[in-house]
Amino acid sequence: MTSLPVVHPGALGELPFPLARTSPSDRHFDYCLQPYRPRRSPRGKLRAENLLLKALELSGSLAPALPVIEALRASLGRDMVVWGTKWDGERLFFELYIYDPQKEDPKATVSGLRETLRSLLPIGPTVAETIPYMMVSFDLDVPVFESGAVSELNLYLSDVDAHAGRSYVVSGEQMALANTYRFLEPKREIDTLLALLESSSFIDYSDPRVLGRVLLPDLFACKRVCVAKKRLRDGVYFSGLSIEQLLGFLRRCSYPAPLVAFADAIAGDLDHVYFDVGLDLLQDASGAISYPKTSFYGTF
Amino acid sequence: MQSFKGRTEPTRFEDLTVTVDFHCHSACRFCIVQEGMNDYRGVPFERFKQAVDENQQTPRYRRVSFTGGEVTLEKKLFDYLAYAKASESFDHIRLQTDARLLRDPAFAERLLEAGVDEFFVSLHGPDADVHDFITQRPGSFEQTWRGLLNLRELGATILTNTVMTTLNVDHLAAIVQRVSALEPATMEFWNYLPMADKADELGLIVPMARLMPALRRALDEARERSIRCAVKYVPICLLGEHASSIDNAQPDVVIVEEFYDLYPKFACLWEAKCEHAEACLALTHAYVGKYGWEKSLLVPEPRTKPWVEPDEGLAYGTEKPLEPSGAFPRGPAENEPDPWRALVAGVAPEHDASLASLVLDRRRCTFRFERGQASVDVVLTKRSSNRQALVRSRSFNISYRNLLGLDETGDDKAAMAKLIEAVAQTVVSRDAGEMLLDERKGLVGPTSRRKRKS
Repeated sequence: MTSLPVVHPGALGELPFPLARTSPSDRHFDYCLQPYRPRRSPRGKLRAENLLLKALELSGSLAPALPVIEALRASLGRDMVVWGTKWDGERLFFELYIYDPQKEDPKATVSGLRETLRSLLPIGPTVAETIPYMMVSFDLDVPVFESGAVSELNLYLSDVDAHAGRSYVVSGEQMALANTYRFLEPKREIDTLLALLESSSFIDYSDPRVLGRVLLPDLFACKRVCVAKKRLRDGVYFSGLSIEQLLGFLRRCSYPAPLVAFADAIAGDLDHVYFDVGLDLLQDASGAISYPKTSFYGTF
Repeated sequence: MQSFKGRTEPTRFEDLTVTVDFHCHSACRFCIVQEGMNDYRGVPFERFKQAVDENQQTPRYRRVSFTGGEVTLEKKLFDYLAYAKASESFDHIRLQTDARLLRDPAFAERLLEAGVDEFFVSLHGPDADVHDFITQRPGSFEQTWRGLLNLRELGATILTNTVMTTLNVDHLAAIVQRVSALEPATMEFWNYLPMADKADELGLIVPMARLMPALRRALDEARERSIRCAVKYVPICLLGEHASSIDNAQPDVVIVEEFYDLYPKFACLWEAKCEHAEACLALTHAYVGKYGWEKSLLVPEPRTKPWVEPDEGLAYGTEKPLEPSGAFPRGPAENEPDPWRALVAGVAPEHDASLASLVLDRRRCTFRFERGQASVDVVLTKRSSNRQALVRSRSFNISYRNLLGLDETGDDKAAMAKLIEAVAQTVVSRDAGEMLLDERKGLVGPTSRRKRKS
């Protein structure tokens, strides 16, 4: 295991946001809001949300995003919102996920969010609260801020098996199935994992090398893998990754150099965090696999 | 809570390897320290003395190996040898060498007199055509062979090492045939590890479908000649009747820190299903990236016991032959003086339990206790306030993991909790602060590299 140098913030240059530091009240959740024990002591270190803030800065949406982040944190509590930073090779964009699988917090419902964000980012779609959704998400990027409102929501419903689910996209009063997904332990449930991956309309696994580009070996050393079947693509997600694995992922997927450099510079102060990442998969006519959209996750 | 590190660095606790310096007169196309040659510094003599002195105080290494670069090029080698020999703390002193300079019988004899009793000689082809193409030094095969003959003449223990690449894969059996006349103690075959060239742009990684038949033929040849072989970095399931020849252990290596940044990681799709999981490294990530997971070629041996996700990779406590396939490697025997065992001696019987195994590697001392069907590992790592621990003694962080086999009444859990607490408190009371476990023995910081003229 590589020991990473701890870089003092002064070496990071001018930042338009104060570095978020860990505190004793931090809670540690993965992108399903499942708690985990930190890999290392978090005392005196940095929070993963610094990566979100840096990405927001690079995308040009830091200023309008900060009040939204603060409003959600004040309403729902610290570390109760999952953020996703996404990259399609050209632009960074973001999604926020609010979980409440047990329907315990009225503020974590669509209705509650509508109230929380009323003056900042009005939520357009209407959702019947009788729908047994366990999570809702929405994009947070430049087009959303330019329009001044959230025009689409995503609702997530659990399957009978609690480790699987479906998502629906809600636009106006319309709702459509967007994708299905299932979480698996990568090694103990390898047969099911392989069967799910290979049951694909989009990826041809007959060349044995293809699987090596989907189940990337450096990410396969993880806690859980999620296989997603989307309308136009397959996706695969890896959760429970170290900062070293995240750095390798950011480099492999050619995230913007300033973001990678920032992550590299503060890596020593993020060694307590488990990260989650996702890759959409695309196969060209020659059989080569590419990743048209990738993402990584944390909480604030 | 499980930890999910990549599987890497299986260290054999009883061997210490010292990199004296990084110069070489060959230029092997697969060289794993190529990036650091003429850049990395060797281990400073004072650092080496410290390691030897520590070994005198707390014996843990039985063998010290000197390597480089080509270590015989270093005049200071004899200072290192003299100190190691004088310490009388090692059973064996080994040289890892290409033996080219040993073509001079006087030099070979001088090394033996200095205390070297094992020569681990790199030989990558059965003849000059193959070997010299790999070393990129015409004449190197003849020089190495002359060196080997001199060692044979002197009665030294000879081991050979062949790194298997696309350049020599078709000549492995011929190498065995050639070397057999030397009556080597062991022939080692190491599958090529891409260190810097992760994408294998040099085309040196051999696909398993080509490598394994050639390797098995070589192992057949060796068996016919009663030559012991050790194979590294190939999946055990592909070795067939030669599965027992696998030996993935590496010694503790005192080397520059950056070396480990490049060290490959390994993985296997079938790890949780395979009986060999605890001893097999399977495929490097670079291999998977180039040739895939070999989903159909690798065949897991059904497990006979539950699989437990390894925290830190494999652990090898001893070079003694492993227990039957899949068994947990053992530490020192019950009747050997063992300060590690003494840390917990007597505790288990007071709790109707037994100490089932003790495994040492560079980073950990793992005690496995059994009580009826229940078992638990109590783990000592280097003391660090930055890492989670149940409790800390003067030298160690103490934690536990793999609490398994508990009954449903809760009685087992309560009894095991008392056992864990007693073990931890006993270690705290007996640890005088002089026992050593390292996270890394590497050299860190500016002293690890040579100064460059600007």
